[in-house]
Amino acid sequence: MIKLESISKRFDAVQAVDNLSFTIDRGEIFGLLGPNGAGKSTSIAIMCGLVSADSGKVELEGLTPTTIKARKKIGLIPQSIALYEELTALDNLNFFADLYNMDKELKDQRINWSLEFVNLQDRAKDTVKGFSGGMKRRLNLAASLLHDPDYIFMDEPTAGVDPQSRNKLFDSVLELKEFGKTIVYTTHYMEEAEKLCDRVAIVDQGKLMALDTVDGLIRAYGGESQVTVQTNQGLEQFESTNPAKDLVKVLQDSVQLEDVTVRRPDLERVFLNLTGRQLRD
Amino acid sequence: MLKPIIALMKKDIKLLFKDKMAVFFTFIFPLIFAFFFGSIFSGGGGASKGMKIAVADLDQTTNSEYFVEQLQKADEFRVEILSESAARESVRKGKKVAFIILPEGFGEDYAGLFSGNPPELLVGLDPARKAEAGYLQGSLMKLGIGRFEKAFGDTEEMIQQLDDSIASVQNSDDIPEDWKALLKDYLPKMKDLTQKELDKQKASGEQSSGFSFGGEDGDNPMMPLKITQQEVSVQKSGPRNAFAITIPQGVIWAIMGCVIGFAVSLVQEKTLGTVNRLAVAPISRTQILAGKALGCFLAQALVVTLLFAIAYFILKVEFNLLKLLMAVAAVGVCFVGVMMFFASLAKTERSVAGLTNAFLVIMGMIGGAMIPLFVMPGWMQSISHISPVKWSILAIEGAIWRDFSYTEMLQPIAILLVVGLITFFLGTRMLKLEEA
Ligand SMILES: Nc1ncnc2c1ncn2[C@@H]1O[C@H](COP(=O)(O)OP(=O)(O)O)[C@@H](O)[C@H]1O
Ligand SMILES: [Mg+2]
Repeated sequence: MIKLESISKRFDAVQAVDNLSFTIDRGEIFGLLGPNGAGKSTSIAIMCGLVSADSGKVELEGLTPTTIKARKKIGLIPQSIALYEELTALDNLNFFADLYNMDKELKDQRINWSLEFVNLQDRAKDTVKGFSGGMKRRLNLAASLLHDPDYIFMDEPTAGVDPQSRNKLFDSVLELKEFGKTIVYTTHYMEEAEKLCDRVAIVDQGKLMALDTVDGLIRAYGGESQVTVQTNQGLEQFESTNPAKDLVKVLQDSVQLEDVTVRRPDLERVFLNLTGRQLRD
Repeated sequence: MLKPIIALMKKDIKLLFKDKMAVFFTFIFPLIFAFFFGSIFSGGGGASKGMKIAVADLDQTTNSEYFVEQLQKADEFRVEILSESAARESVRKGKKVAFIILPEGFGEDYAGLFSGNPPELLVGLDPARKAEAGYLQGSLMKLGIGRFEKAFGDTEEMIQQLDDSIASVQNSDDIPEDWKALLKDYLPKMKDLTQKELDKQKASGEQSSGFSFGGEDGDNPMMPLKITQQEVSVQKSGPRNAFAITIPQGVIWAIMGCVIGFAVSLVQEKTLGTVNRLAVAPISRTQILAGKALGCFLAQALVVTLLFAIAYFILKVEFNLLKLLMAVAAVGVCFVGVMMFFASLAKTERSVAGLTNAFLVIMGMIGGAMIPLFVMPGWMQSISHISPVKWSILAIEGAIWRDFSYTEMLQPIAILLVVGLITFFLGTRMLKLEEA
């Protein structure tokens, strides 16, 4: 469990994180959704102990994130590709594994597992420089899993990734959840949050705007669905908080239904309703 | 505890070798520098291109000037005319192989063929160049023979010579009586003969061809020159081997390459974001910095070892190993500190490379990495005190040719350590690893 209590962080003129409080449960995929500059990376950095908050309290299983004990549980996948491009994939993994003081046998075992997990075993001896964007992202992930961390922080892991690699990455995230890992996933793509996250915290300008399951958020902040009905009497469009119920009403007077589309509100809508702005600029 | 430090060192050195520019500036360029400039400098001293000699003419007569001219014309020598004291000094400092002093009276003896005194030269030779002593003597003798040719080659000159000789024989006290008698008889006869020869030439309008004494040296019964060897105690202020200057300079260039390489790699950890991986790992900031520092130190040790292996085995540069190790360790500490300091100042690779490079090149220039310290003009030598490069070169040279005692080694070493520790302390204090 990760617990944030009234966390704030200011960089000069910018309030990057503003009085943030929430709890992340063990085993869930927790999403941080917000536009660029919302304070997602800063929040992650605070949870990992990379940045100290100006005020507030963070705990990771009751531990301060900067302690050695907590660090062993933390796996950070940085937003940038944090790899040595001139070295081979294997050299990179070897080096990062050495930071965790494993014996040789365990190290080799974990390196093999990680390479296999991201499907790069046959590129192990190649220099990272020659990798595609998607491959670099995958290695970036593998390098963070070597010590088998319980808490995995993924900061916009799909940036610069082609759709195919993106789907593979989603599978990897879900697989990690299967292993019982707790995952903190930041993104500014609402589709990713909808698809992956058990709960989503919507952040804007460092503030927590809402926190719930995707359905819960939509129900609470999504507003009405757009219903478009095509009948033998013509096209009808209306907004509804309960499309099924309202649809039945339309169909009562022996009209024949030809086509119907219901556009449920999405997280984009939720964000718009919460902030008055689009999620993507 | 040690594992992550060693991993960091290994990784950074691996990265250094992958960076072609860094390899060039750390390994290749210093070697080229040491070799190239070393061979340019050492060319001057060799006999093949002319022995560097200093000549002081105390006599200042036409004859002495003539002799100096002959020296200058000779391929065997590269002559610089100096005052007596400067000439002696130049050999003592190892700038010249030998000095040749033409004492007062040289011209008179040179002209007075039969006065019994061969003209005397005072010659002092750098003891380290004993091998060239025979060569020098032979070359001087050959020139000395020239005085007979000169005397006999020009008829008018010869008559003058004979007159001078007759006078000097008559006035001389130390010529034995029977020799005096012989010469009194012989010289005027010779003069008459020569006079007749001259008249004949004048009548026929011929150019004077004169006699030839023959350049065939060796079988002349008369001593052409008296060469008086003088002791020279060489002051150890100049190196014996040009590579002894350029190798320490090469070392400096190599170390500069290391410093820039590591400062850039440290900043790169930040720009790449790998520093975040280091910072979330269960290792301390001290371990990270120690890894970087030791990596930089080790890389320096590697290039220095390489350079000195080449210096010793190929270029025959000799040194005191223990003093060299002391010097190199102190230089290493100094420049690891400098590396940390500059890495802490800059935010991007470009700026750290530019900043470090500018600083090091300036320090190198005033510190003797390009122009050797001992040939620098005085004003520049005093500016050079502020350059850690100067103290580095001094410490290393102390172990090579300056023959520093351990006490003398202490000054540059202490300065280097102080600079290193201060910059290291400031650098590690200011360096931000966490907030990338
Ligand atoms: N090290 C820093 N120095 C100054 N400002 C920063 C720093 N890191 C982040 N910020 C600012 O804080 C705000 C939040 O940044 P960040 O947490 O990176 O947002 P996100 O990850 O959601 O895009 C932004 O306005 C950003 O410019
Ligand atoms: Mg971010």
